[in-house]
Amino acid sequence: MKWFIRRVIKKGKGSLQFEEEIHFGETLTVGRAANQAIFINDLRAALEHARVVALGNGRYRVESLVASGIRIDGRFEHAATATSGCTLEIGNVRITLVDPPADFEAAVEVGLVDKAEVAAREISEALPQSLAEAGLGKRKLAWTLLLLTLAFGLLLPVAAHFVPTFRAITKDVPAVGLNAWDSGPLAAAHHTMANDCQSCHGEPFNVVADDKCIVCHAGTAAHADPVKYPLPDIADARCAHCHRDHNGDDGLVRADQELCSDCHRNLSERVNGDTLLVDVSDFGSNHPQFKILLPAWDAQGRYQPERVSMDQIPLTERSGLKFPHSKHLPAAGLKTPDGVRVLDCVDCHKPEPGGALIAPINFELHCQSCHRIDFDLRMPDRQVPHGNAAEVQYMLDEFYSKVALEGGYDDVQAPVTVRQRRRPGEAPPNAQEQREALAWARAKALQTTDTLFNSRACGVCHSVSKDPNATQAGWMVAPVRVAGVWFEKSSFTHAKHATMTCIDCHTAQLSLSSADLLIPGISASGPKTADRPYACRDCHGGEKDTKLLGSTCIDCHGFHQADMPLHPGH
Amino acid sequence: MHDSILDYRGFRYLWVALILSIGSIVAYVWHDPIGVPNGGSWLGYTLGTIGALLILWLLWFGIRKRRYSGGSGTARGWLSAHVYLGTTLILIAFLHAGFQVGWNIHTLALVLMLLVIFSGFFGVYAYLRYPAMMTRNRADTTRDAMLAEIRELDQQTLQLADKVDKSIHDAILSSIQHTQLGGGVWTQLSARDDSGLALAKLKEAVLKSETGEKSSKSGQTMVMMVDFLANQATDAQSENLRRLIDLVSRKRALAARVARDIQLQALMEIWLYIHVPLSLGLLGALTAHVVAVFFYW
Repeated sequence: MKWFIRRVIKKGKGSLQFEEEIHFGETLTVGRAANQAIFINDLRAALEHARVVALGNGRYRVESLVASGIRIDGRFEHAATATSGCTLEIGNVRITLVDPPADFEAAVEVGLVDKAEVAAREISEALPQSLAEAGLGKRKLAWTLLLLTLAFGLLLPVAAHFVPTFRAITKDVPAVGLNAWDSGPLAAAHHTMANDCQSCHGEPFNVVADDKCIVCHAGTAAHADPVKYPLPDIADARCAHCHRDHNGDDGLVRADQELCSDCHRNLSERVNGDTLLVDVSDFGSNHPQFKILLPAWDAQGRYQPERVSMDQIPLTERSGLKFPHSKHLPAAGLKTPDGVRVLDCVDCHKPEPGGALIAPINFELHCQSCHRIDFDLRMPDRQVPHGNAAEVQYMLDEFYSKVALEGGYDDVQAPVTVRQRRRPGEAPPNAQEQREALAWARAKALQTTDTLFNSRACGVCHSVSKDPNATQAGWMVAPVRVAGVWFEKSSFTHAKHATMTCIDCHTAQLSLSSADLLIPGISASGPKTADRPYACRDCHGGEKDTKLLGSTCIDCHGFHQADMPLHPGH
Repeated sequence: MHDSILDYRGFRYLWVALILSIGSIVAYVWHDPIGVPNGGSWLGYTLGTIGALLILWLLWFGIRKRRYSGGSGTARGWLSAHVYLGTTLILIAFLHAGFQVGWNIHTLALVLMLLVIFSGFFGVYAYLRYPAMMTRNRADTTRDAMLAEIRELDQQTLQLADKVDKSIHDAILSSIQHTQLGGGVWTQLSARDDSGLALAKLKEAVLKSETGEKSSKSGQTMVMMVDFLANQATDAQSENLRRLIDLVSRKRALAARVARDIQLQALMEIWLYIHVPLSLGLLGALTAHVVAVFFYW
């Protein structure tokens, strides 16, 4: 086989010189050894580095004889089938396979690899030696994250705000759409509106408007009459000024003392004296004595309680009842028709089911088992009805009329007709006898009524008097109010004080008279003794009190109560 | 005396950060908000504003550090402030939110902020620790010089190998071709190079050659050379071969140092590829957070 080898030799600037030679043989050997067809003077070449076999038709088989391989068309290979135009590089020599000229079976062109080209290739083929060269970048990721967070946190929620269908789709998807803006759980009372932001939030970039609140809270009263007291704190304040949602169950309703004391510590000054309220700032240190509602009735007998300071001396209760508690609470007990009984407070004063108040005293339930209102020794089981003087008179009239007509009433002062027992078949009394009997009956009923009211029964507990203009017996009983609302501007719940006993606060066992007011005031003088009832400040202090139970204004008082009128004159 | 980013000007920014932190804590404890502490109280808004301005200022560092002249203060002062005030931001953000978190954009901003800050902590560690390690590793030279020395050694090795035997020359040639320094992110970070392994094998092979054992392993340049040394070498060849082993060892050690250099540099930089993109994500989340709060005021 005849090989055509052309050597390209660079001479100076740009000029080339060619040397041509002919090689005979099947293979073209390439290497650093002197016997190689193509000699390479470079240590990077092995002595026998490679061989090229011509396959004919411009195709060649290239094989590396060493492990380091040959760079064929720029890539390291150990063996390849190449065609004309292919370049082989070994060390600093480049061998280009070319189409053989006429009379030759194979041809190569041999030249040196350009140094600048090698340097450029070294740079382009160098492995990355820094993260930036390794393709790591910050810019793309940074932009992606910026756009993603803006899309998730701004674009989708704003779209949900303006596009009702999108809002409906994302309404119940956690953390998507407007849910991404949900800054915290709503208070329990507002759970029914959860996921429906626009129940409260209206115009973008505007605070929650009161009219959104009033949709549900129309019945809530103002704190004070905004016309009479046009103070910024009252008239201009929004609902949300105090009621902040999205903080769970905390915070929706303000309970702090400052809510009230902010204005009430110097209220008179703020409203130029136009208030009946006393300045107050702290329950423990700056709160007036309580005002209590004492029972009272006007000239027409209508209940018109008087609101007086509990500092008033004397402070007496006018319940209309004569009732010494001490007599009912002896330690040894009371002799009753059912035997000896030791009475306890709760036997008469039962808490109402709600636990806030004490149920009213009821004569039939609480008194009558001992204080019977029977009226006739001969018929001790019969009693008059309680509570209505006229009814007593009627009942006795009817009772004695029946007795008179039936006869058999064993009373020496009664007419014979009344005393005689009627036998079966006996003729009824004649008209004269009947008149006598009814006259006796009326007199007897009147006398019994007088006895009952005057001394034996009613007068024991009640103040009774006689109506001078009455045509009948005309007895009157003074009105009574035993249990009821004592403090109309605060709420007190007995159930919350269940750790106490009744006599801790109401020393009824020591009370000799029903004129004793057994309601505790704000504070008591002197240290607590067994005889001195607890007053509120024995346990309750201001909000910040660390030794007593810290109590804020709204523990007892309401805020939205403009509809509650103040009592004139107090 | 040289001061680092931490003790810059007598810990000036540590004191600023401490005063800011203590001030925030005192205000938080003293403040008595309606209900529970939250971002909607006046203190919440105040701390939120401080936090947002701090974030913008900390982001501005990315621009400031590129300006070699102009602006107030030195780059080192800015970095010191960046580190301390950035750390303070953790406290300010939690106090701002009243420690409330949820599945929402607000907490996403918090989480991104924490990730940015904690990646920054690694950055502080890297900047304080790795430069000294790099200097030690380079031993008064540069990476380029080391690479040039490797190329030089390669040449010498080839010359020497040529004098020994063509199989050795071939093996050395192949080994040079397969020497790889640098590479992908993971290769750079793990500083993978087989120099340790090669040396270990070399030692093992030398040991075996001394006891006359034939190594069964082949393919590894070192092993091959030692095999040759033990089995076929003439005296002159043995001498050359010993020098060759020395050269290859030196090259391997150098290659390991270059790999270590690349690794240390990559460690110094890798956190920035988290820190910077996440801080841009934080900017987006923060913008959304602020807009959301006032959109539904």
